[in-house]
Amino acid sequence: MTITIALPSKGRMKDEASAIFERAGLKISSVGNDRSYRGRVEGIDDVEIAFLSASEISREIGAGSVDFGVTGEDLVREGLADADERVEFCARLGFGHADVVVAVPDIWLDVDTMADLGDVAADFRTRHGRRLAIATKYWRLTQQHFSGSHGIQLYRIVESLGATEGAPASGSADIIVDITSTGSTLKANHLKILSDGIILRSQACLVRARKPGHEGDIRVREIVERVQAALRV
Amino acid sequence: MTRYDLPDFAPDLLAAFATRRAERVHTPVIQPADPFLDMAGEDLRRRIFLTASETGTSLCLRPEFTIPVCLRHIETATGTPKRYAYLGEVFRQRRGGAEEFYQAGIEDLGERDVASADARAIIDAMDLLRVVLPGQTQAQTLSLTLGDQAVFEAVVAALGLPVGWQKRLIHAFGDVGQLEALLDRLARPQPVTGLDPEIEALLSADRQDDLIVRLESRMEETGYSTNASRSPTEIARRLKEKRSLAETRLDGSALLLLREFLTLRLPLAEASAALAGFADAADLKLGPAIAAFDARLAALSNAGADLSAMTYRAAFGRPLDYYTGMVFEIVASGGAEVLAGGGRFDRLMTLLGAQSHIPAVGFSLWLDRIEALRDAARGKTGEPA
Repeated sequence: MTITIALPSKGRMKDEASAIFERAGLKISSVGNDRSYRGRVEGIDDVEIAFLSASEISREIGAGSVDFGVTGEDLVREGLADADERVEFCARLGFGHADVVVAVPDIWLDVDTMADLGDVAADFRTRHGRRLAIATKYWRLTQQHFSGSHGIQLYRIVESLGATEGAPASGSADIIVDITSTGSTLKANHLKILSDGIILRSQACLVRARKPGHEGDIRVREIVERVQAALRV
Repeated sequence: MTRYDLPDFAPDLLAAFATRRAERVHTPVIQPADPFLDMAGEDLRRRIFLTASETGTSLCLRPEFTIPVCLRHIETATGTPKRYAYLGEVFRQRRGGAEEFYQAGIEDLGERDVASADARAIIDAMDLLRVVLPGQTQAQTLSLTLGDQAVFEAVVAALGLPVGWQKRLIHAFGDVGQLEALLDRLARPQPVTGLDPEIEALLSADRQDDLIVRLESRMEETGYSTNASRSPTEIARRLKEKRSLAETRLDGSALLLLREFLTLRLPLAEASAALAGFADAADLKLGPAIAAFDARLAALSNAGADLSAMTYRAAFGRPLDYYTGMVFEIVASGGAEVLAGGGRFDRLMTLLGAQSHIPAVGFSLWLDRIEALRDAARGKTGEPA
């Protein structure tokens, strides 16, 4: 059985992932030319690299069509129901940091916590004739945080695939759930993060699909151990 | 297991609906998704089958009947009171259990005699279960649990809590974890901190109008005001309310009372006396709520209902804002699965767009679970399938 590792196909994520694998003694080379979407690990025959987009990687791991992947924890937890049952987060790789946060207009001086937001959401329909609207591309994480952790049921998700932080000012939603790394985009759009509004502190992870075939496979263990060791130095 | 056929006892139910003069209505299997997500919340999204039309309208497979039946009533503008019956398939994403299954039930819209309508819903649900469950098995051992949000509302009002706190608690009623978190906050109030000193000064001096002006100008500076949903007035009002609510503390004895109330669980026949006793001992005025509770109980007794199989559980409620009063569930003794669930939802009709207030109560039977019990009984007695 060939082990397939899915790595980001471009940009800094690709470079940083390759660097860590190289430090782990798993030097990756592209098959054919530099732009190729297939790769191999030098010196190991039965490990294959697939270069995919970050969101494809989380999907392929969920489907079990690749064995390992390097992608953001946010994408995995958003993309998969019961993520921890289906995949194992083997290592946090120390790059690609992004927090998934709940942010509200900073003029909402009365809203600092999820409990405040719960009060506002409970009253929203009476005051505005509709439910509180949240712009996000993270509907699963939003739902877990609002309904699961904070007992807030009454809101509507407005799907937003880009420039989410502009939604409150444009009137397409009241608040947002989005990723931020420095918070500067939020600030520029006059949004503030709630004190208990950090849903997930995400970063790039080495993720393994939980497949029965991995049990006792020495290569699987070695890949995990080598990457973990490389992170310790 | 996926089934496409009506359960074989469906004709018995339809006949029972007709005897009760409940008009059978048909609603489309494909429904607009918005009313369900608006009413039940986004939590429903992962439990229904969502799709979209070519033009982008969100659609779903009918996850339940109450909302479609109520919407249909509003659209057809028929008068009230009106009793509707339904029997058909619903579709939900469930772990374990079929994803398409049959439900049947009655929605009673616009009956002003609340006690009688509540009692009739309970009795109809019990009777319909008896019609379809095989006699020698569960039919004699159905047990019903009843809750009443109105009694809880009366208790929190009688404790003298500010309206804002009452609303929080009522909103969480039925959600044990959330309610417990709120009681913790009432036991240990945390003052509001971290406000801009200028805002703090305006608030402390109770200069509400100046605060609103200040908020308005800040909104204009940031270009947010044109599309703002919450106005400066709303924000200033809630800021003030939040500070006063943050100072609210419920003393130990009041908290104890509230907790004691929430643990009440006793035979329905004894519930009136127990609630009256609780009110007396706690020196709380629960008059109208207890009177309404008693009236429902009297209506049940007058209609010949067997109260001995019924339990009152004070903490039983559904944390959705359209449920208002009674809720109930029926299980076969020893079984865990709810065979029938119902309740009063006086706020739903206006939330869905009805022009006038329409009191409403209804219940739903889980035909797949009933069928499983029938199959099991048939297996035991060796009757032909």
